[in-house]
Amino acid sequence: MSVSPAFADTLTRRRLVQGIGAGAALLGLAGCRSAVDQDKAAPAGAQAGPRRGGTLKVATLADLTPALLFTQGPIFSIHRLVFNTLTRYAPGGLDPQPELATAWQIAPDGKAITLTLREDVTFHNGRPFTAEDVVFAVRNLQNPQRSAQLRATALAVTGFDIDSPHRITLRLAHPVTNIFDLFEFMVISAKESVEDAVLGRNVVGTGPFVWKTWTPGTSLVLERNPRYWVPERPYLDAVEIRVVPQPDALIASLRSGQSHLAAGLGGRDIAPLREDKAFNLREYDQGSGNIYLGVNTSVAPLDDKRVRQALSFAVNRDRIVKQALGGYGLASAAPWPKTSPVYTDADANRYPYDPTRAKALLAEAGHGGGLDLPLAFLSTAPAVAQMVQFDLAQVGVKTTLEPLDPAKFQAQLIAQTMPALWTGTHGFASNQPATLAVSAYPFNEAKNTSKFTDPQYTEIVQRAWNQTDARSAAAKAAYAELSQALLDRQFIIDLAVLTNVQPATANLRDVRQNRYNATVLDDAYLAG
Amino acid sequence: MTGYLLRRLPSALLVLVLASFAIFAILRLIPGDPATTLAGSDPSPDTIAAIRADLGLDRPFLAQYFSWIGDLLSGDPGRSYLIGGQITDLIGDRFGNTLALAIGALVLMLVLGPILGVLCATARGRVPRALLGAVNSVSLTVPVFVTGVLLVLLFAVTWRLLPPGGHQSIVADPVIGLQYLVLPALCLALPGSAVIARYIKDGVLQALGEDYVRTARSLGVSRRRILWRHALPNALPPVLTVLGMQVGALLGGAVVVEALFAWPGLGQLAEQGVARRDYPVVQALLLLLVGVYVLVQLLTDIAYALLDPRVRLG
Repeated sequence: MSVSPAFADTLTRRRLVQGIGAGAALLGLAGCRSAVDQDKAAPAGAQAGPRRGGTLKVATLADLTPALLFTQGPIFSIHRLVFNTLTRYAPGGLDPQPELATAWQIAPDGKAITLTLREDVTFHNGRPFTAEDVVFAVRNLQNPQRSAQLRATALAVTGFDIDSPHRITLRLAHPVTNIFDLFEFMVISAKESVEDAVLGRNVVGTGPFVWKTWTPGTSLVLERNPRYWVPERPYLDAVEIRVVPQPDALIASLRSGQSHLAAGLGGRDIAPLREDKAFNLREYDQGSGNIYLGVNTSVAPLDDKRVRQALSFAVNRDRIVKQALGGYGLASAAPWPKTSPVYTDADANRYPYDPTRAKALLAEAGHGGGLDLPLAFLSTAPAVAQMVQFDLAQVGVKTTLEPLDPAKFQAQLIAQTMPALWTGTHGFASNQPATLAVSAYPFNEAKNTSKFTDPQYTEIVQRAWNQTDARSAAAKAAYAELSQALLDRQFIIDLAVLTNVQPATANLRDVRQNRYNATVLDDAYLAG
Repeated sequence: MTGYLLRRLPSALLVLVLASFAIFAILRLIPGDPATTLAGSDPSPDTIAAIRADLGLDRPFLAQYFSWIGDLLSGDPGRSYLIGGQITDLIGDRFGNTLALAIGALVLMLVLGPILGVLCATARGRVPRALLGAVNSVSLTVPVFVTGVLLVLLFAVTWRLLPPGGHQSIVADPVIGLQYLVLPALCLALPGSAVIARYIKDGVLQALGEDYVRTARSLGVSRRRILWRHALPNALPPVLTVLGMQVGALLGGAVVVEALFAWPGLGQLAEQGVARRDYPVVQALLLLLVGVYVLVQLLTDIAYALLDPRVRLG
């Protein structure tokens, strides 16, 4: 249809430009009081020494789940913001340092540990911290409804002797090498508020920040604890944690100056920030979990160790780290990060990419003609499964991909109904090696998804767990044996240790993480 | 009229009862349950069993169903397993946010659509016409998750005029709240605006070719007056029909836009509820949706009955 000549001059180029100008002016109206300025993270800059004040703005992919307050989750954790722990590991290793406990004494038989507690600590509600709060913290983790992954270690605590309000002895059923893992994991919360806390209403701890407001799906605001037991800390006035449930939007939030720190992004997501000098990509040395290829050992021929080892040789771990993890990972056949006491280069490289050797092992096991197996994976993370599928096809193992949504994946994992193969992630390899075997279900010696049972493996796990001194030669030998057992049996084929990396603006300084990836902001500040 | 209403009510209630049962059953047919989510990562079977018992998920199916219905009838739809808050509060807050987003998008649609349509119909010259045509086509064809990212890139990252995402209450702080609303509402409004623009463009062009326009022009009526007073009103009726469909599309598109702009609305709540098997939340949301449809249907029937006596008498 053509325009009537009478109206043909209604819109000219000049009027179009005028219209665009008017639109821009309308947008300018928004500038009367700007949400951008209100949101803006303090500008990057250099200033010697810490600066007091400011609100740290954190953007995270997922909201807090109050019911999971006492578990380790994959997303930004408030464990060391609102709470404290009894001890904390020194950076780069597993050397326990005082926090709410100032000293400790392990009994010669390893069946008790006496703790001396700080006397100058109060909860956010003003109540003093005492030994009774340690009793409650342990019993809280023993409660299965708290979903605490270190429950097995908490259950090893069988009794309490309170000598004074600030001195307590924990009696143990047997020596445990990972008692300090428990102390770093176990947050000290006010017992009178816990039932409210798991509903997201009244979360009370002794930590550097006080729970202020939580708007589900939107944000959590924490304010500086003016009575914090560490003098002059924290430097920050407040922490605002915003939920941005989409990786691109999370990056935009950082680039637009709306946030200082982004949590929950994968290595590939942060690629756009790698060359940008306005941001620091903070890498933490404890890793943030592992990706693995799970094997159902009840499915023939995966009951044959040689077939499992063949699969391990067939996967190109370096390619997975480079392409699926954006380079942020350590290709390793062993689960341990480099800061683990049991890590060795030899173990990490125990199964180098070697299709020829994989084919030879398959042939030796009587499967030179190839195999056809199902491979389940999390529908939200298909990249690793696709790469594994390609690699296995090169050695004659054809796989059929079966995507599972997270809830179904988890259900099948626990119900031991996974198909022959699956790809997934696990945690708990960054602490004492025994913690992996007693706290991460895929490695549990009594019952695991792989349906793998072996009395010798059970004996090694128990020996690695039940040492009196976690740093003794006997303990170290048991850890090494545990590592060898995992590498030899290959019911879980570890592929890579995930590098824990968080993008942040250049002016954010001295952020730390504990061994469970909980962010520590005691010394953090925003440079002016 | 009362008799007619009494005849219609039982069937409406039956639909609600059947829907409640279907919703309850279908959710439980999906593999995985809230206990697996509440158990965190690397959980043990003991932990999951304890949580399942605590939530009452180990009770017989019908016992769980009647317990839920009983709570509903007493006015308590329960708590979210995962978020912890009362469902009435959660839905109330999120409903307000989604409504604000939908109204914002509708307003933008009603402003941008007619402007673009009239400009397209009256544009002169190759460049403006091509430009407007391209704007219209891009708005219509590019999915919201792409336009959303582009809008954020331009207005939040490059020019830093508006926040890239998030939410602040418009009631509490209208100036700041509106700035948070602009980008998601614009993203949601663009496809609908393009549809309206096309209808208006065709309608205006058709009207401008009519004899009465020529007559008016020959009588000296200004071009602007003819366009706004005569041509545009004649182009509007078909737009009203299409507007109804676009409002439905707004609610569907809101799910994606809410995720993209971290806008805490009902779509985001439903998406999280389904993904994490938060039964009470999803049940309440779906039943609310059915309830709204049943109510609208009932109101439509009543309107028919009021307009046509044969309906209420027959």
